[in-house]
Amino acid sequence: MAGRVLDAGLDLFDRQLLDKDARLAGKVDDLEFSFPEGGGPPHVTAILAGPGALAGRLGGRLGAWLEGLANRLRDSQERRPARIPFGVVKRIGSCVDLSVAKEELETDRVDAWIGDHVISRIPGARHAPE
Amino acid sequence: MRLSELLGAEVVDEQGRGAGRVHDVRLEQDGPIIGGFGASLRLAGLIIGWRALGARFGYERASMMGPLPVKLLVGWVHHDGRYVEWDRVRAIEPGRILITGSADDLPHPSAAS
Amino acid sequence: MRKVFEIALGILTAIGGFVDIGDIVANTETGARFGMSLAWVVVVGVVGICVFAEMAGRVATVSGRPVFDLVRERLGARVALVNLLASFFITFLTLAAEIGGVALAIELATSVNYLLWIPLVAFLVWFVVWRVKFQVMENVFGLLGLALIVVAVALWRLHPDWGGLIHGATHPAVPKGEGHPTWWYFAIALLGAAMTPYEVFFFSSGAVEDGWTRSDLMVNRANVYIGFPLGGLLSLTLMVMATLFFEPRGIEPGHLSQVALSTALVLGKLGLAVLLVGFFAATFGAALETALSCGYTVAQYFGFQWGKFVRPTEAPRFHLVTLLSIVLGAGLVLSTLDPIKVTEYSIVLSAAALPLTYFPILLVANDPDYMGDKVNSRLGNAIGSLYLALLLVVAVVTIPLMILTKAGS
Repeated sequence: MAGRVLDAGLDLFDRQLLDKDARLAGKVDDLEFSFPEGGGPPHVTAILAGPGALAGRLGGRLGAWLEGLANRLRDSQERRPARIPFGVVKRIGSCVDLSVAKEELETDRVDAWIGDHVISRIPGARHAPE
Repeated sequence: MRLSELLGAEVVDEQGRGAGRVHDVRLEQDGPIIGGFGASLRLAGLIIGWRALGARFGYERASMMGPLPVKLLVGWVHHDGRYVEWDRVRAIEPGRILITGSADDLPHPSAAS
Repeated sequence: MRKVFEIALGILTAIGGFVDIGDIVANTETGARFGMSLAWVVVVGVVGICVFAEMAGRVATVSGRPVFDLVRERLGARVALVNLLASFFITFLTLAAEIGGVALAIELATSVNYLLWIPLVAFLVWFVVWRVKFQVMENVFGLLGLALIVVAVALWRLHPDWGGLIHGATHPAVPKGEGHPTWWYFAIALLGAAMTPYEVFFFSSGAVEDGWTRSDLMVNRANVYIGFPLGGLLSLTLMVMATLFFEPRGIEPGHLSQVALSTALVLGKLGLAVLLVGFFAATFGAALETALSCGYTVAQYFGFQWGKFVRPTEAPRFHLVTLLSIVLGAGLVLSTLDPIKVTEYSIVLSAAALPLTYFPILLVANDPDYMGDKVNSRLGNAIGSLYLALLLVVAVVTIPLMILTKAGS
């Protein structure tokens, strides 16, 4: 894939993320750029996902409110959106395929919490799919 | 730096003239190796103008044929796109990106890269 | 042979599943006030839903992606959020109306006030969504909904003046004593009832739930092109019954019991019982579809795992949204808001919101990267574009008309 050219907004934004077992793992809400150590132009270092990341896209007061909400949901001290290091991206096509399982992603925390504290309490939650 | 911070920013040349707003960025996969992905995606340049709308709908690709009224409408809005190569970027401020040179000599995105 | 059975089952469930509380209310009220003069709108609506449901089903079958997933990809996060808020709100309103409709149907059968039935109905809707297999759910309520054919039977027994009815339908004219704006307002309501957005969300997500592949495209087409028009015919029989029973007497049916009355008068207790089964199945089935659609739209916008085809613990946020929607929807009707009024608003607002849903479908259905060789034909595009233009006009005039006619009073 050397030298492949993409337009970020067109080919990456709002694409469905699939984990290594083809399970749905959220959408590409924003991208993180970093300047490499040896100098030079910035490159994409992470996918940002979740309400904190989406807040940046929505902008304005709605975005600010959403960001505040997201920061309260995240139990870590850091005031930043959940990130998926770009190194775990396997392939970019009509979806973005990741090389890790959903549970290993930072973005899965809210899902996991709701799963453990709400859904699991209801009888039949671990039942085979209907 | 987040991509959403670049999008929508006004691009301003050395004389202080506006060249339009950033609607998308072009990436090239020739940066340093990053994890299991391979060469990382380098920020090659900024795309200014309305074209991103039609592109988003899918009309960038010549294979997208219809529906006709939408394709025509998109084509009409399409042609004022311009491209700024990353090394022309002097400074990034909140909501503004300063570039070297003049706003007049910016190429069309399809001509670039 | 098995394929024939599959297609037959699909068509029958499509017919039985077509009518919901919106169609019951819209067709009955329109027949009572305007006779058959708006029957043509049902035809326009049925053709429209056929075209777009087939498109959405085809997109989901070939690309594996349901409608709302692609809405965000095509329109971007911000515009798609507006789309989500509008679509979710309308689907939620429809869910509340359907829950109310089920409770009203049970009230008719038991003479116990509908408000008392709402908590039970809400629980049952959630329980079926939680535990009953998707295909079983579709088939049972779709087939039971066929009980509504009893209205057609009653109509037949009446030996009505077919000539007069057909004349009224083919020569649309605003009846004396009614204003043009109100006539058009009811037209919009009928259109919204036939072309509800949730139908498309459910149909496309259902294609993924059922695991449809390219070999199922023919089943998809048969369900839609044979099932939906016949379902529309069932809606029209409700309009005809209302024309015969209510219009001459100047009655404006505001209660489900009045709708049932006409059939009961002709076919007696047995006919009424069958009709009530039909009402129950139609509204309960639609409650299931709208509840799931509430979950589908939100989950698909954010990219969460959704669907009944995975263990509930694998799709926690989807199930949470669905559960909350059912609870809040039940709450809305428990607030003693008249379910019929809620229905009226939901169908009119549905009509206004249709472009939001249909435009992205039309776009993706044309994209060869997603559809391969199954992109829209030129005819399909022509019809689709025409409908989109029509729906944009409807979207613009709906709110002004609503204010002008005081919501059709």
